[in-house]
Amino acid sequence: MRRYNIFYFIKEAFLSMVRNGVMTFASIAVLLSLLVVTGGFALLVVNIDKNLESIGVMKQIVVFCDRSASEEKVNEIYEKLIKLDNIEKDENGNVTGVVRVTKAEALQQMKEQSPGTYDDVTDENNPLYDEFDITYVDNAKVSELDYQIRQIDGIVKVNNRLELATSIENMKSGVMVIFVWFLVVLGVVSVFIIINTIKLSVFSRRNEISIMRYVGATGTFISLPFIIEGIIIGLVSSVIGYFIEMYVYSYVTKMVDSEIGQIISVYPFDDIKLYVLFGFLGVGIVTGIIGSVISLGRYLKQ
Amino acid sequence: MIEFRNVKKAYPHGTMALKGINLHIDDGEFVFIVGHSGAGKTTLMKLLLREERISSGELLVGDYDLSKLSNFKVPFYRRELGVVFQDFRLFPKKTVYENVAFAMEVVGTPRKKIRRRVPAILNTVNLAGKQDSYPNEISGGEQQRVALARALANNPQVIIADEPTGNIDPKMSLEIMNLLLKINKLGKTVIVVTHEKNLVDYYQQRVVSLRDGLIVEDRIGGMFSEKV
Ligand SMILES: Nc1ncnc2c1ncn2[C@@H]1O[C@H](COP(=O)(O)OP(=O)(O)OP(=O)(O)O)[C@@H](O)[C@H]1O
Ligand SMILES: [Mg+2]
Repeated sequence: MRRYNIFYFIKEAFLSMVRNGVMTFASIAVLLSLLVVTGGFALLVVNIDKNLESIGVMKQIVVFCDRSASEEKVNEIYEKLIKLDNIEKDENGNVTGVVRVTKAEALQQMKEQSPGTYDDVTDENNPLYDEFDITYVDNAKVSELDYQIRQIDGIVKVNNRLELATSIENMKSGVMVIFVWFLVVLGVVSVFIIINTIKLSVFSRRNEISIMRYVGATGTFISLPFIIEGIIIGLVSSVIGYFIEMYVYSYVTKMVDSEIGQIISVYPFDDIKLYVLFGFLGVGIVTGIIGSVISLGRYLKQ
Repeated sequence: MIEFRNVKKAYPHGTMALKGINLHIDDGEFVFIVGHSGAGKTTLMKLLLREERISSGELLVGDYDLSKLSNFKVPFYRRELGVVFQDFRLFPKKTVYENVAFAMEVVGTPRKKIRRRVPAILNTVNLAGKQDSYPNEISGGEQQRVALARALANNPQVIIADEPTGNIDPKMSLEIMNLLLKINKLGKTVIVVTHEKNLVDYYQQRVVSLRDGLIVEDRIGGMFSEKV
């Protein structure tokens, strides 16, 4: 193949795209819709995710120790807690997600929050518990963590927001299911339309193809222009799609910022534009190639 | 060397186009294939081109055993053959030169060699002055000579022509046949399917006559058979 001129294939691809203008246009339009709609959906999902993450309280569990537990016992509990999975760590692997709050400290906090109210409570008659404030990482595994904590000896009470966490997780996976459906349905439609476009190109050039075969052209040589046609369709769709997405996303985020910006925070387009661009290029080009390869099956075989 | 050993060809839906062909053609031979319409002449050519596969028997062409040839190798096999059709099958948007050059580009011939070889082939088929014309600017006879030049481009050992004079007037036909004989004299095996009794009788070459999918006569220096 090395002696063949790539410009020959590209020229041939453009020629048949122009010749089948309507189908080429239809393919680009459908693939474009696929990219913009699923892309928009994906952006919605990451932004929902971002906002869920930022509700920090979601990722906290408070563990209360038995009031009769000795200092050694509390330390023992601490040692066990930091060995659990799903506990926040810093980049060096040190556990940062287990913070001990003694009952004296807890009392102190309360006194600071509401001065005067708890003046008659002293360290001697302090009714509070020694507690650990736990910050975890993954909402999806919180019930597991909750269970493991309850197994530790010397713990009397575990406070968490398990239900809320679970319902948010459910919501996230519901959104994912819809998203995947969109992707699959629009993907299939796009591939189908591209198959028909390329078939039409192949059909309108059947005489040329038959001549090529008689003079001994290989399947690769014959198919390459059509595969390039698929790639160009993918490329054009993804570039146009990128700009549409950019425009729409910026418009929507501007609206969100001005209306409910205090409650919801969104990624600026600049932060995510490379993901959008390469995601679009990837999906677009792969779809184009799949479409042309399927419609060429027969010709690749000779 | 081309060898048909009891070759049968059944098309889907049951037509037995060839019912047991035994035929040996040596390198450098010139053979006319004659027969009534539907006798199986085109089918014979399609088997040689591996456009259709034989249903049973054996078909050997040079070093290739066509009953065993994988799809992947077909393009490389076809480069050993040159084909000419009744309807020329030229690219209308390519010039004479480009039509011939295309056959060489397809198989990856270096540009330099193409530039050297195309004019020489066009000279062989007496088209030296026409290389920049488009197919619709030249006569049928000339178009067929372009097709012949294209068939010769990759220097195949065998030239196959299925009714090469079917679409052109008699004077031009004579010229095409003369060229095919000239090419044969240059050492190539030439197989020509034709209906033209006067030309077959005139040239006194080997004539293979087909009737209903069988060879009914095979004579060197033959005339157009009365049996078909
Ligand atoms: N693709 C095909 N499918 C089914 N039957 C076919 C096919 N091609 C040819 N046939 C049949 O096979 C038989 C031989 O056809 P073929 O084309 O080889 O004849 P031919 O000798 O070339 O005739 P002609 O002189 O008219 O060109 C005919 O009965 C024809 O109808
Ligand atoms: Mg025929």
